[in-house]
Amino acid sequence: MLILAALPATVRGQGGSTSATIAGRGIVTGIYSSGEPLGGDAFQVRLVQPMLMAHATAYNRALRVTSTINFEAWTIPDGELTIGGWGEGFVDRRHPHTVIHELMVSGVGHLGSTELSLSGGKGFAAFGSDDPSDRLTLRYPVNHHWSQILERAVLTGGILVGPVMAEVSLFNGDEPEYPQQSPNVDRFGDSWSARLTAFPVQGLQLEASYAAVHSPEHRAGSGTDQTKWHASAQWTRPLGGHPFYALAEWAETTEGDGLFRFDSFLAEMSWDLGPTRLYYQFESTKRPEEERIFAQPTRSVRPHLEDAILGTTQWTLNTVGIGRDLLADGGVARLRPFVEVSYVSVSAAGPGVFDPALWYDGTRFWGVSLGLTVGLGRTAFTHKMGRYGVSADAPPRVSTSHQH
Amino acid sequence: MMRIPTHSSVSWAAATLLLVAGCGGPDSAGPPPTRVISVSAGDGQTAPVTTAVQLTARVTDPAGSPEAGVSVSWSVVSGGGSIPASSATDADGKASATLTLGQIAGSQRARATADGVGNTPADFTVTAVAGPATQLKKSTGDGQTGWAGSPLPLAYAVTVQDEFNNPVVGATVDWAVASGGGTLSVSSSLTGTSGAASTVHTLGAAGATQTVVATSTSVAAVSISFTSTATVGIRLTSSVGVPANYGLHDTFVRDGLAFLCVWDEGVFIYDVGNGMAGGTINLPRLVGSVKTAGGNAHNAWWYHSPGGSKQYLFVGEEGPGSVGSSSSGSIHVVDVSNLAAPVEVGSYTLAGAGAHNFWVDENAEILYAAFYNGGVVALDISGALPSDLASRELARIQPGGAGNTFVWGVMQYEGGDIFASDMVSGFWRLRYNGGSFSVVGGGNNVPERFTSDLWVQGGYGYTGGWGNRGIQPGNAVKVWQVGAGAPVLVDSVITSGITTVSDVQVSADGKLLVFSAENGPNAGLAVYSLAGSPSQPVFLARYLVSQGLHTATVETIGGQTYVFAARNPANPALMIFDITSLVP
Repeated sequence: MLILAALPATVRGQGGSTSATIAGRGIVTGIYSSGEPLGGDAFQVRLVQPMLMAHATAYNRALRVTSTINFEAWTIPDGELTIGGWGEGFVDRRHPHTVIHELMVSGVGHLGSTELSLSGGKGFAAFGSDDPSDRLTLRYPVNHHWSQILERAVLTGGILVGPVMAEVSLFNGDEPEYPQQSPNVDRFGDSWSARLTAFPVQGLQLEASYAAVHSPEHRAGSGTDQTKWHASAQWTRPLGGHPFYALAEWAETTEGDGLFRFDSFLAEMSWDLGPTRLYYQFESTKRPEEERIFAQPTRSVRPHLEDAILGTTQWTLNTVGIGRDLLADGGVARLRPFVEVSYVSVSAAGPGVFDPALWYDGTRFWGVSLGLTVGLGRTAFTHKMGRYGVSADAPPRVSTSHQH
Repeated sequence: MMRIPTHSSVSWAAATLLLVAGCGGPDSAGPPPTRVISVSAGDGQTAPVTTAVQLTARVTDPAGSPEAGVSVSWSVVSGGGSIPASSATDADGKASATLTLGQIAGSQRARATADGVGNTPADFTVTAVAGPATQLKKSTGDGQTGWAGSPLPLAYAVTVQDEFNNPVVGATVDWAVASGGGTLSVSSSLTGTSGAASTVHTLGAAGATQTVVATSTSVAAVSISFTSTATVGIRLTSSVGVPANYGLHDTFVRDGLAFLCVWDEGVFIYDVGNGMAGGTINLPRLVGSVKTAGGNAHNAWWYHSPGGSKQYLFVGEEGPGSVGSSSSGSIHVVDVSNLAAPVEVGSYTLAGAGAHNFWVDENAEILYAAFYNGGVVALDISGALPSDLASRELARIQPGGAGNTFVWGVMQYEGGDIFASDMVSGFWRLRYNGGSFSVVGGGNNVPERFTSDLWVQGGYGYTGGWGNRGIQPGNAVKVWQVGAGAPVLVDSVITSGITTVSDVQVSADGKLLVFSAENGPNAGLAVYSLAGSPSQPVFLARYLVSQGLHTATVETIGGQTYVFAARNPANPALMIFDITSLVP
């Protein structure tokens, strides 16, 4: 971060035809949870979401490179304390992302008023909503793996016609198993997704996505397939003269030819009062329960031994937070302390042998996070992960500004 | 200046060389022979070393008439014996001499010659053999360390010799276990051309001095002792890697063939001692394979009908499910008439439920299958099987009732009642009444754990545990007395550092309890003794496998007791362990 501060935030080539930017951010946080697997509570202090984001463009932005390097492999190798969170072999911990979070090259062209793009590399498939680290709460939602598809070898084509944008992605179905792992390129193309987004009026974004993902939880390809749907509405217009943002999203993933069905509803909003942001998130999401490792009850057995799960749990969360910019907006550095409180409840959703009341020795938990978000570089909080080509250009470019 | 010889000068030199060579060589013509000497008797004899043999030569004139009074000279050419320097011919032209053979067994030669015979003497060859056995010596194999109950890697060998250390062929050597027990591959053997005889010692139990004594009637009052040390434990004999695709789940072993159920990769058939593909326990060889429909190959049973047919292999498919409530997957019927090219010919599907382990009553031709939430199903597997076995369903039962049934495994006990292990509702005793099942007793008897596999033998049942029920992890093997009614819990074996006992079996002789374990630092294979009391297993040995073992199948091949275990991913493999040394 200190090194970054010494770097020019933006370097522009002659005539503006080429440009490059680099920025970084991270959050120092202390997290408390009153619930833990096998009972008890927990507290941890970590540096989470440490990232470097770099952009480069050439030929008047017809050629673009977007990259995010994530250092969570070293700062949260055992995950971030997040009861209810899951994915990639972590349970009740938010997993560290892969080191190369995204590295995409896009070519963008125009045909009259129609904008076209083709993007390829490692990154997000065109599906669902923005990455949670680009949104409001520090706490990752439970639906992370229902509402986003990321860290894949992906090829995405996009078209933007007036207020409507369509994207289609081809990618490998397998989820990463550890931060240093590369996508299984042998499986490239075994999965696909499509996202349709409309911008009917100023500040409103409507989105619907579909994905067919082959064996996401088993890298070799013998796992069950997922069918995923996602829809969302996003509103970004001032309220009472102050910036206001709201998102409502629904997601559903079915697996094993419909044997398993997981759905999620999430709504979040923020209201900026000068340098102070107030925010709230509600989530109700189902997740699968898997056998956990004996010595690490926050990890599940990987690779899988079979396709069975222990049951399904329903997680309901209410999170409120407040953050404040300590530095003037528009500078190259930002400091944003925040506090966030979550109230979490869990219940069994349907039959199965997993009993959350026994496992957690309770079903209702509190979480409190105190943190300081640090950013260096002008794009530290305008960078939108997973948006490439036409998707990076489509209106409106919502700025939730990572107001943890 | 070098002079190049002309053609004529080269020819002259060559002729000169030939002449010189002819004058000095053994084949020189010289003066023509005036006599002929030949072998008359004694050539080609066989006699013990240092004994005397009679040799006779005959001298004639060139026309063949005998010449009397001619002095014949004798000499030993090889073998180190002795012979008189000369003897005179008699009226028939014959002269004899006594050859005393040397001490070294083998071919020995002597020569007779006389004046006037030129360069054509008479040569005699006598084969000297060993004399009487006087020595019994230790050769190889002493002082080894091996596994109790298993053959030593080196044979014990002794050598029988005469007084001159020549090997005595055909001597009888008797072998006997003097202490420590065990067995010998032969108790009596004959010495070979090297004078050696051998036997292989399969060691007895550990702890005792393992001594074998060799004696020979040919060498009185001499005995040779071999002493070895027996150790006990679980010995990995070999492993066979399988594709890292959910790995190996279960292995069925019969007639020296191992049927490996390798999920979506199908069923692999290995020769592990059958001989049809040259495979052995130490070096299994693939015979054939088949991918069953739907993949998820989990378990198998090679059915031998009462009529002798070995046509069908039943394969369980374990599809996706939610433990305790839902499951999927069929039983697939594979024609293995040609083991090198099996082919699926039928299946049975129970709507809303999935197959897990099964058991076949081969005499009654009934397959009993665990179907998780579907309970237990009985199928008629007699005769030629149709492609859809729905019509072969005989009976079905959910022993714990709907919502309280998730049957892991079934096993028939001594041709009678069926025992079932239910993950949710525990250990059941069922009875098939020819068209329907009834509950004899049991059930709802393991409330603190999820129940996994089972084995019933010798009046006792053994059930494992699975996962974590929130109350207790599945780290127990429960011991049940199975009398006439409901099973009665009599003991539990708790293993720390695991959450799952994934497979349970008792050896055919009832002496060993074997189970595989998963998920934890003590995952792997565990062996307990039932020799003292089948109700109170006593720990013998553990073999740790960090990935855990998904299943363990105990089978006896060639008198040795093996465990065929499935090592979990990553690096999934069939691991074959020899546990013979642990047999009490």
